[in-house]
Amino acid sequence: MKRTATRTLAAFAAVGLAAGLAACTSDGGGDADGPLTVWIMGDSGANFEQLVAPFTEETGTEVEVVAIPWDAIDERLTTAVASGSGPDLLQIGLSKLSTFAAAGALLPLDEHLADHPGLAAGNFPDGVAEATQVGGETVSVPWVSDTRVLFYRSDILAENGIDAPPASWAELREDAKVLAARGDGQYGYYIPQWDSPLPVIMTWDFGGDIVSGGEIDFDTAAFAEAVDLYTGLYADGSVPTNGDFDQTQGFISGIAPMLVSGPYLAKSIADAAPELDGKWGVTMVPGADEKTSLFAGSNLGIWHNTDQVDASLDLLEYLSSVEAQLSWFEINGELPAVSAALEDATLQSDPLVQVYSQQLADSKVLPLVPNWDGQTGSDLLNALNAIVLTGADRDATLAELFTKTAGTPVG
Amino acid sequence: MRRTTLVPYLFVTPAMLLLLAFGVLPIAVAAVVSLTDMNISGLANWRNVEFIGGANYVALVADPDFWRALGNTGLFVVVGVPAIVLISLGVALLLDGSDSRFARALRSFYFVPAVTGIVAISLVWGYLYNTQFGLFNWLLSLVGIPQVQWLSDPWLAKFSVALVAVWRGTGLNIIIFLAALQGIPREYREAAALDGAGPWRTTRSIVLPLLGFAIFFVTVTTTIAWLQFFDEPFVLTDGGPLGATTSMSIFLYKEGFRLNQFGYASAGSLVLFAIIAVITVIQLRLRRRDVEY
Amino acid sequence: MSSTEPRIRRSRPPEVRRRLAISLSVGLVLLVGALTTAFPLLWMLAGSFKPQREAIDFPPTLLPQEPTLANYLRLFTELDFGRYLLNTVLVVLIGAFGLLFMAMAGYAFAKYRFRGRDGLFFLVLATLMIPVQVTMIPTYLILNGMKLTNTLVGIALPTLVSGFGVFLFRQFMSTIPDEVLEAARVDGAGELRTFVQIVLPMSKPILAVQAVLAFITGWNSFLWPLIIASDQKLYTLSVGLALLNQQLAVDPALQMAAASVMVVPVLLVFVVFQRYVVQGFALSGLK
Repeated sequence: MKRTATRTLAAFAAVGLAAGLAACTSDGGGDADGPLTVWIMGDSGANFEQLVAPFTEETGTEVEVVAIPWDAIDERLTTAVASGSGPDLLQIGLSKLSTFAAAGALLPLDEHLADHPGLAAGNFPDGVAEATQVGGETVSVPWVSDTRVLFYRSDILAENGIDAPPASWAELREDAKVLAARGDGQYGYYIPQWDSPLPVIMTWDFGGDIVSGGEIDFDTAAFAEAVDLYTGLYADGSVPTNGDFDQTQGFISGIAPMLVSGPYLAKSIADAAPELDGKWGVTMVPGADEKTSLFAGSNLGIWHNTDQVDASLDLLEYLSSVEAQLSWFEINGELPAVSAALEDATLQSDPLVQVYSQQLADSKVLPLVPNWDGQTGSDLLNALNAIVLTGADRDATLAELFTKTAGTPVG
Repeated sequence: MRRTTLVPYLFVTPAMLLLLAFGVLPIAVAAVVSLTDMNISGLANWRNVEFIGGANYVALVADPDFWRALGNTGLFVVVGVPAIVLISLGVALLLDGSDSRFARALRSFYFVPAVTGIVAISLVWGYLYNTQFGLFNWLLSLVGIPQVQWLSDPWLAKFSVALVAVWRGTGLNIIIFLAALQGIPREYREAAALDGAGPWRTTRSIVLPLLGFAIFFVTVTTTIAWLQFFDEPFVLTDGGPLGATTSMSIFLYKEGFRLNQFGYASAGSLVLFAIIAVITVIQLRLRRRDVEY
Repeated sequence: MSSTEPRIRRSRPPEVRRRLAISLSVGLVLLVGALTTAFPLLWMLAGSFKPQREAIDFPPTLLPQEPTLANYLRLFTELDFGRYLLNTVLVVLIGAFGLLFMAMAGYAFAKYRFRGRDGLFFLVLATLMIPVQVTMIPTYLILNGMKLTNTLVGIALPTLVSGFGVFLFRQFMSTIPDEVLEAARVDGAGELRTFVQIVLPMSKPILAVQAVLAFITGWNSFLWPLIIASDQKLYTLSVGLALLNQQLAVDPALQMAAASVMVVPVLLVFVVFQRYVVQGFALSGLK
């Protein structure tokens, strides 16, 4: 009896170990000569299939789209990295680019650029392609661009004696006070508590940066001014203090008639509240010394051990073509990243797009730290939110932020 | 005399294999990983991983976020478990009174939260709790009460999140209590009634003691579940505001998947597992002592 | 007949009246409790029939002013929810095997003495105490090694068997009289046959309980389908619902329709089986 039991238990253990060891062998991503697998964020899956239909027709290569919920990208990446098997192509939000690269998930593209001129840095606005290099290597190609602009309710502003949107952050602060005075539960401006780029944008506008000497450095005069502005808006009572404030509804209902957001908000407003047409607009961020905003968006990369390098590069080039870029804007509303596409006349005839392009021309990428979303950006938000929401001591909290983030390498 | 056979082993094997593979093996793996500095690049390439002994555990003890998560978890357990046990028991006692169609229909209503997936729940409750546009604050505004920041105030958020979890957790336990109540012979209660005991007295002196095991079972399973509290704070507040609703499980998840510190998260998991095991054993011992007068 | 019996009931005696009053008030309390408990979901159901514009209106309307089926139609035509539904059903059906495995294990723990029994049962209980987060990556690696990632079996496997289920089966089966089993053996039935033809039929109540619980788990499973399915064609309803959750909640009505599609079938299953569920727990010796 004893022997049977121990033998059985030993058998269990052996099976367990064997499964574990077998599991450690890496698997290449995608099958050779099969369909190309592409990871697309959010529910744009169906739209993407529409986009690549011409590619499949032309080359005969099937493209399989997998839509990944925004909230789940971390898990997906981790399990893909752990098992070694991922897609062929994947969409990468810029704030996650470093994390992906650190995981070794992306195929370096430098050696292929010569054969695929459509992917060269010159095709994209100045500095963007270089800014998205990691460790001096090109591991991804810009795909869609995104920026932040000022949204404002022209009707509500006019009703309160403000004829033009604020042209500087100082003006915005004053205007916000006036608008917040409309009554209880009314605000002038909205600061999303999860928006880590906003204080960085403010810092840039005050003529400074949060990077010095290739490392993160928050201890700068411009950042201090940005913190003044950020905390000042809260102190004035101009911004809502609850974390679950709904941006779209807030804007549509007029509770928060000014906010800084991206083109996707414009689409949401147009869809959800067509009756507001003509009563709202967008303009460049108020700025101070500069009117610099965020260059956000997503790049596309190739999974590091895909079996279909050439086919993936071809798809990548197709997606970077002017036609595909313009087509995507039409289908999904995301702005092109390719300069030629951005300058397209039809595109530019849209007044909203004109503002976006203007802003894109003066935009910077967030510093490429190892983990912006999970770490640096998160630390920044925690510090600021602690000050404005719980009344933590400003100097002590900021000092803690400086120590926590000092030395974080960029790029 | 039955031959000692392999039969029981055959019966047990499929289930045990699965439980070992997806339960025991992972915790063993976590134990090993907790002694390393594994992160995302280590996950990609095992050669990047270094053995660091107990350093993760030392770091845990020094981490204020860890202690806050532990405190939050403790608070949730101390408040949530009695709430669930009492409410489930109360509702079961009331429902048991009548075996009519009406009562059976009501049972389904009480069970609804338990069958709803967490994603749907986050949707509905997120909307109900919304400060500006939520239903609750709108109802309050009708009677002149100003907006309540259900999910943004650090203390209120804990309560709001726990409320949703209690709402969800009572369903199954009501069923369990109902089942246990069915097992109490009618004669006992009738005898008490004949002796002149009112319904409250009967409940207190006859029914409750007989429910001893059921109450114990519900308490233990609910405690284990609440020590691993994850779903509700994760979908409603993402552990916020500023960590006010971060439980141990959320802390582990964030360390593991957002910060990619797998070695550290594994150490935390081992600690949580140990806590759960210790508390459960204590409960079992107390019960044994109780029964063995 | 009528003249010899005194007329006792002119009005109900105070005793009965009081009991009636208690009954009614209990009923009322229960009703209010039930409605309050079910309210969030009733509201979700109502919201699923609202057009997009009305859904984000403030102040919120309780019942749809312009009810529409548009959201549901969109789910199944544009958004592939028909496929997600099918996958979810398949995952649940695969879960039926888990039922069998748990029943077998519970039976063995209850009715046999064998070396290692207590140790193994302890392990079974121990698995209940393991936090899920820690199992995620190792489980994925195991499934990957077995080449089961991106398959429906792979999605169903991690939660196929639960320690809780094995425990309940054991509790229940220990109440089966030994004499019945002995009688079967004396009649020459093998162990397996005894199990299938005697034990399982007697276990209907507990099988019902486990079936409902397994259904709920399989139906609502979110974590594993998300991680293991790298092909969108294998997503389940939960994942489909999560996909609708963008950074800005623009169409709550659509999300509520998707959520309603998830909740209603499970509820129906419960309503149909609830008597057996209670019975099943009752007969598991939970007293």
